[in-house]
Amino acid sequence: MEINHSDSRQVSFHGEGSKLFGIYIVNLLLMIFTLGLYYPWAKAAVLRYVYQETEFEGSRFAFHGTGKEMFKGFIKAVGIFVVIYAILILAVWSRNNVILSLGMITFYAAILLLIPVAIHGALKYRMSRTSWRGIHFGYRGDLKEFVQEFVIGGLLTIATLGIYSFWFTVKLRKYIFSHLRFGNIEFAYNGDGTEYFKLNVKGYFLSLFTLGVYFFWYVKDLFAFFIDNLEMNQEGNVLKFRSTATAGGYFQLIAGNLLIIIFSLGLAAPWATVRTINFIFSNIIIDGPLDTDSIKQTEMDYSDATGEDISDMMDIGLI
Amino acid sequence: MQSFDILYYDGKTSVSHQASLSLEKDYWLIQYDQEFEKQSVRWEVGQVERDMGFNSLFIFRYGDFPRQTLECKDENLLIELRQLYPDKAFFDKKLNVLLHKNTTVLVGLTLGLIGILLVSYFYILPWFSEKVAEHIPVSTEISLGDTMFENTINHYKKNDSLTARVNDFVKEIDFKTNYPIKVTVVHEDDMNAFALPGGNIIVFDKILGKMKSADELAALLAHEVSHVHYRHSLKNIFRSLSGYLVISLLFNDINGITAILADNSNMLLNLSYSRNLETEADEKAVEILKANGLNLNGLVELFTLLESETNKVATIKLLSTHPLTTERIAFAREVARQQNAPVKKENLEKKWQAIGAERLK
Ligand SMILES: [Zn+2]
Repeated sequence: MEINHSDSRQVSFHGEGSKLFGIYIVNLLLMIFTLGLYYPWAKAAVLRYVYQETEFEGSRFAFHGTGKEMFKGFIKAVGIFVVIYAILILAVWSRNNVILSLGMITFYAAILLLIPVAIHGALKYRMSRTSWRGIHFGYRGDLKEFVQEFVIGGLLTIATLGIYSFWFTVKLRKYIFSHLRFGNIEFAYNGDGTEYFKLNVKGYFLSLFTLGVYFFWYVKDLFAFFIDNLEMNQEGNVLKFRSTATAGGYFQLIAGNLLIIIFSLGLAAPWATVRTINFIFSNIIIDGPLDTDSIKQTEMDYSDATGEDISDMMDIGLI
Repeated sequence: MQSFDILYYDGKTSVSHQASLSLEKDYWLIQYDQEFEKQSVRWEVGQVERDMGFNSLFIFRYGDFPRQTLECKDENLLIELRQLYPDKAFFDKKLNVLLHKNTTVLVGLTLGLIGILLVSYFYILPWFSEKVAEHIPVSTEISLGDTMFENTINHYKKNDSLTARVNDFVKEIDFKTNYPIKVTVVHEDDMNAFALPGGNIIVFDKILGKMKSADELAALLAHEVSHVHYRHSLKNIFRSLSGYLVISLLFNDINGITAILADNSNMLLNLSYSRNLETEADEKAVEILKANGLNLNGLVELFTLLESETNKVATIKLLSTHPLTTERIAFAREVARQQNAPVKKENLEKKWQAIGAERLK
């Protein structure tokens, strides 16, 4: 047993812009020739590469998802959207105000329900398909519970004209991380909604008053609020996450990426992606004792990628 | 038989075992020490799968979930695999190309992609935008044209009495279109006239001053109305804005388009029509003139006027937006020759006289 107390660890990324570029080019061409149907395979290739080049304690991560799995999810997701939009279009065609308003309500209710379903499904799929040293991640959230929490939070956010969204975001993060597993390692998120609200108000107004200069401190604070409140628990041993990102670092990242993308007319986007991933990982430090040899496999297999694909279509970004 | 140094993970815990791998005809044998005991694991070749990788680490997985894993850095393993199991798909051609950084292939693919992007940007996108312009509802087109009109007319000095006279003239002609035609005459030392989407036509007073007959003015107006009728102006604008259109769609910012239209009205109204559009407008103009019993010599006179002034700075604007070609002149002469000279329209002549009186002031 090797337990190192008060140790600091980092995840490192070894990806190269040129390799990612090669993958992007092949993906783009195949997507053009298949009119977009290649998308699930393209996404699988990118994820596989990025995971493969991500290292922790000398071992690489792996993404096990396949284009075939995601294609099945893709088809289901398309089906769901076709049905939802068909309802809306039929309601509009009816030229009857009652049917139209009922159709609109159904449409928005379906979208509101679909977001949590998509997040839940995507987390379950993505986590199950991620492994390190053969041990898989997992998401144990309960769909009913999560949808309930989401709908209540969503309605409160609408009722408070968006103000509640800060407490809502923190609540969702808490729910998600408390149900995340890496083998027998558990996670927790300790953020506080009020603190998050203050941080955003401060960041928004200072950015406004300083004509955007403060924006870099604002994104730094948002990142720190996310990372610093994360912890991992291995059978009672708590590991804490810590952000070392600075406003200057963010400025370099954002300004550099903008220049790269503008001057290459977007062609060098993979290099910008690599810079971003490097920046994120190099600014996260994990403090605490970890026994890297005793993580046990605990999670179930899960191969339904529908949630992942709905998320893509709704543009919900997952980390 | 050669054996390889590998790392082995049993899929139950994260312990990484230093192990050795030897390849047999039907199975792989993995051997390692655990708590001072020799352990050995057998993988049936048929169920071994390789993780397609982009780096020099070779990863193989085996069995049902949770799967066992082995990692090997030894390049010789691949050579051995090829020899021992030539039929087994341990290799992926597409990946191999990328892995060995086949630069020629990659450069070729990149150039191909850039080619596709350029073709879509310069040909497919404008073509598509034109198709979009064809399907814009008339009411939208009119309100768009009005916005542009408001933004353009400020730059000019409007001649109210001439405007009123020319609009009286317009009422005498059936232009065979559903668009509400509204002419505005402005004081400008250039020979120019242009049509906005939705029915507004701006005419510079200088060109009116040079005209000699009612038929000539009718020909000019019929030509401009034809541009309106076929949405030439709207199509031109959409073509030249197709890049903006995509960008604003990408950023979900439709309001941006309206702002751009408003800010660049002047530039957008001075876009040159293509030869095909000019021919189409001339043909429609001839049709309008014939239907109204007007003399097609008006068109010939108009072209002659423009031709005689070709080298003067004043005409450059009109000729740059409506390129005058020898084919156009020949076409006008031909249709005029075939026409039996119609009787002069009395009402129209009166209105023309009124314009003439106004011009002299
Ligand atoms: Zn023209």
